Amino acid sequence: MPTATQRTSVPVIVDEDKCIADKGCTVCIDVCPLDVLWINPATGKAHMRYDECWYCMPCEADCPTDAVKVEIPYLLR
Amino acid sequence: MNVSNIPVIDTDVLVIGGGTAGPMAAVTAKEQDPSLKVMLLEKANVKRSGAISMGMDGLNNAIVPGHSTPEQYVKEITIANDGIVHQPALMAYAQRSFPMIEKLDSWGVHFQKDETGDYDMKKVHHLGTYVLPMPEGHNVKKILYRRLRRNRVQIENRYQATRLLKDADGRIAGMVGVNTRTAEPIIIRAKAVIMATGAAGRIGLPTSGYLFGTYENPANNGDGHAMAYHVGADLANLECFQINPLLKDYNGPACAYVTGPLGGFTANSQGERFIECDYWSGQMMLEFFKELEGGNGPVFLKLDHLAEETIQEIETVLHTNERPSRGRFHDGRETNYRQNMVEMHISEVGFCSGHSASGVWVDETGATTVPGLFGAGDMASVAHAYMLGAFVYGQICGESAAAFAKERDLPALDEAFIAAELERIQAPLKVADGIPPSQMEYKVRRLVNDYLQPPKVTKKMEIGLQRILAVRDDLHLLQATDPHELLRALEVHSIIDCAEMAARASLYRTESRWGLYHYRVDCPEQNDADWFCHTRLYKDENGNMAHGKRPVAPYIVELGEEKDAYQKLRVQKAANA
Amino acid sequence: MKRYDDPELQDIADKLTDPDPGIRRVAVLALVDSGEPEAAELLIQALKDDDAAVRQEAAKVVDEFDAEDIADSLLAALSDGDEVVRNAAAHALADLKDPNVAPPLLAALERSDDPFVVAGILRALKPLRVVAAQTPALQRLSDEDARVRREAVGVLGWLKAEENLPALIDRAKCDADPEVRRAAAGSLVYAARERVGPPLVTILGDPHWQVRCEAAIGIGKLDYQAGLESLIVASRDATWQVREKAAEAMGKLRVVAAVPALGECARDPMSNLRKAAIGALGAIAEPECRPFIELALDDPDPDVRKLARWAQSQLDNAA
Repeated sequence: MPTATQRTSVPVIVDEDKCIADKGCTVCIDVCPLDVLWINPATGKAHMRYDECWYCMPCEADCPTDAVKVEIPYLLR
Repeated sequence: MNVSNIPVIDTDVLVIGGGTAGPMAAVTAKEQDPSLKVMLLEKANVKRSGAISMGMDGLNNAIVPGHSTPEQYVKEITIANDGIVHQPALMAYAQRSFPMIEKLDSWGVHFQKDETGDYDMKKVHHLGTYVLPMPEGHNVKKILYRRLRRNRVQIENRYQATRLLKDADGRIAGMVGVNTRTAEPIIIRAKAVIMATGAAGRIGLPTSGYLFGTYENPANNGDGHAMAYHVGADLANLECFQINPLLKDYNGPACAYVTGPLGGFTANSQGERFIECDYWSGQMMLEFFKELEGGNGPVFLKLDHLAEETIQEIETVLHTNERPSRGRFHDGRETNYRQNMVEMHISEVGFCSGHSASGVWVDETGATTVPGLFGAGDMASVAHAYMLGAFVYGQICGESAAAFAKERDLPALDEAFIAAELERIQAPLKVADGIPPSQMEYKVRRLVNDYLQPPKVTKKMEIGLQRILAVRDDLHLLQATDPHELLRALEVHSIIDCAEMAARASLYRTESRWGLYHYRVDCPEQNDADWFCHTRLYKDENGNMAHGKRPVAPYIVELGEEKDAYQKLRVQKAANA
Repeated sequence: MKRYDDPELQDIADKLTDPDPGIRRVAVLALVDSGEPEAAELLIQALKDDDAAVRQEAAKVVDEFDAEDIADSLLAALSDGDEVVRNAAAHALADLKDPNVAPPLLAALERSDDPFVVAGILRALKPLRVVAAQTPALQRLSDEDARVRREAVGVLGWLKAEENLPALIDRAKCDADPEVRRAAAGSLVYAARERVGPPLVTILGDPHWQVRCEAAIGIGKLDYQAGLESLIVASRDATWQVREKAAEAMGKLRVVAAVPALGECARDPMSNLRKAAIGALGAIAEPECRPFIELALDDPDPDVRKLARWAQSQLDNAA
């Protein structure tokens, strides 16, 4: 069966100016229980790659530079 | 040694799951004997995994001397579970609960204390006093992590266990799994295994349609239930679903145990209490469901009658612990506890012994029916265990597994089984133009909602089972395009297993029991003559899902007059909607 | 520079001397994952970093380490220029359960004036329950800063010593800050009822409702029978929360003389108060209670009805 991709609005927002993933920080990526945060190879910064968020907040709470913001997913808002 | 060209990792004790019970089990095994090799395997990262990734705001089953007794607790839980409990396991919890609080306190976990340093117990239930608030309980995981490091437990993050291994004598031998980021397989040979994989919280579908907006941490998708089934362990009372009251759409707990001692309560649209049942139980959930669907519905959390100081206290606790994003959820809808009641709903169904009584069967030593395999926390069958029960049974399993491991040599591995399993777990990566895991998952979970969610109807459940089996037949089409999708694909296998178990277990017990949890519209009465027993679900010698009955062990605490007192506190008969 | 056997720790140690504070900061985060006991000394080094952001990061992870290994550095960090650092140090110190760290804490207390630091040290001393903390805590009861006085009350409450009662009673009655008065009132329950009963009765007239609640709870806990009259007055308090605590306390006293007042409470519009009243009437379980309990069997609130059924069975059992 062929497949298509579908756009989706994701709840975790990373402020790339504050993110220090390029200095080796992987805190948000490490703590995510669903492993949805990855380094964006284009920018070297963290981003949400999979829309599988539990809005549980360790990524935001543990980020050393306050770069991560967890919104409530649109379907739940 | 190598199996299928993969190096085998040897350990004495393997713990699968690094949430609440798992770290305690691993630390305990090391405390028993520091020379033991203890490995803790976690699908996410131990630092922030499991049900209490952001901490916990209170204990609701603390048996503290001077406030309640183990005997009283055992009686109350027995009654709340309509008699179907393994009392020796409840008693083991009850007797160890206070020493565990003391241990956690000495580790730095913050329990609320009064101005003289005594535990500040709150009476929420009508008979015993069991609630101990933890307004600063957000550091629990940090403390566990500290203990793991100090005791030199070997931690392996981002590995998903997929199947358990047995030796020729039927004893546990280890596990096979896969790295969630590289898809590389892992084979671990172990003398004893403790499963602490949490609830099966991704069987039902939240009505928002958001697959991961579950009541439970969605990483807890029932991998452990499925693995236990496939290795031949008994599962018990799976028809006793978990259904919890929650904040609608947000799907997080309403935390009645936080707001209750401060004067908040669950109300109908008139702002009035309606719950008759005293203890958290299926009976309570049935009343909740009726009100939700009735003319006075829906249901709300009511705090607007409380003083400003109290509301600030509640906000501080609820918006910093367990599910802290709820403050943000309320802000988005301009919900203010001072002016608005908060709309509530009931959760999707799941298996979770923490709140009900279903799961992998374990006795008072944490032992499953497979020698050398132990279970603790939300996946094991000790009723109403909650967080403190996870800690206590983590400790019990750590002791039991350490003792078991010391009595045996490293087991022999079944290489043919391992080869077949390696093929199974790599298969989705080899499929082209297949079904994405999210679609197959949505489909099976939607079937659970449509056909298995109580009130349960026999014919509907039969149709549901057939449709779930049809999804199972599609598994060869399941496709993963990267290791992360493979993780989800393998979770779908577990979810289908759990959905089938939920359907078959519900069809097997032909009576109604535990209020809403197993309310069968066409068998509405409780039938003690035929069904005063645990139900067993297991894989028979032909590989089929089979059922049986397990007698309820003789009570070690007779119910006596408490039963009458309880009856006075309950509605005499659930007026079914 | 010291070399470490563990290659990962050595890598962190190297990064902690990197000229880029961002790299040093990330190195601090990696310390948390090291199982090596020597990680603690690198954390101490980071707590003294020139860059405030690195120090903050180190302070944020101090609670990942066993505090006894780093107690001295935490004490030093209590006087850091940065509030985040001070705050984290105070919290970590408060988790110390080891009485051996009391002497350095007490020494630090002596040389500290900053109210934030003093309050942090007092909070850390509280769970240690060391007698040597008594004198400095008594001194700090008259501190200008309410946060300090509140923590000093905490230290003394946990010590449960007879000789501290006059000072605690004084704070409970006279402190300018309601939270200090509330905490002090709550601490009195360790004493004999004859000793602290009369002051608790006085405190039941406090202008702040939470202090009055605390006094009512105390009278009930201590079963101070002479407090009945004041509880009856409190059962008509303008704030329902005070009425509720007074009703619960009367249930603990278990005296028939409380029944008429509880009967009034059992008709209050606030259901939480009706619950408390019926619960108390069930605890007293004298024939005088019966009319009120029977009336409550038809209460619109199911919690009240449930308790009424329970109370009725208590009456029947007593009869």
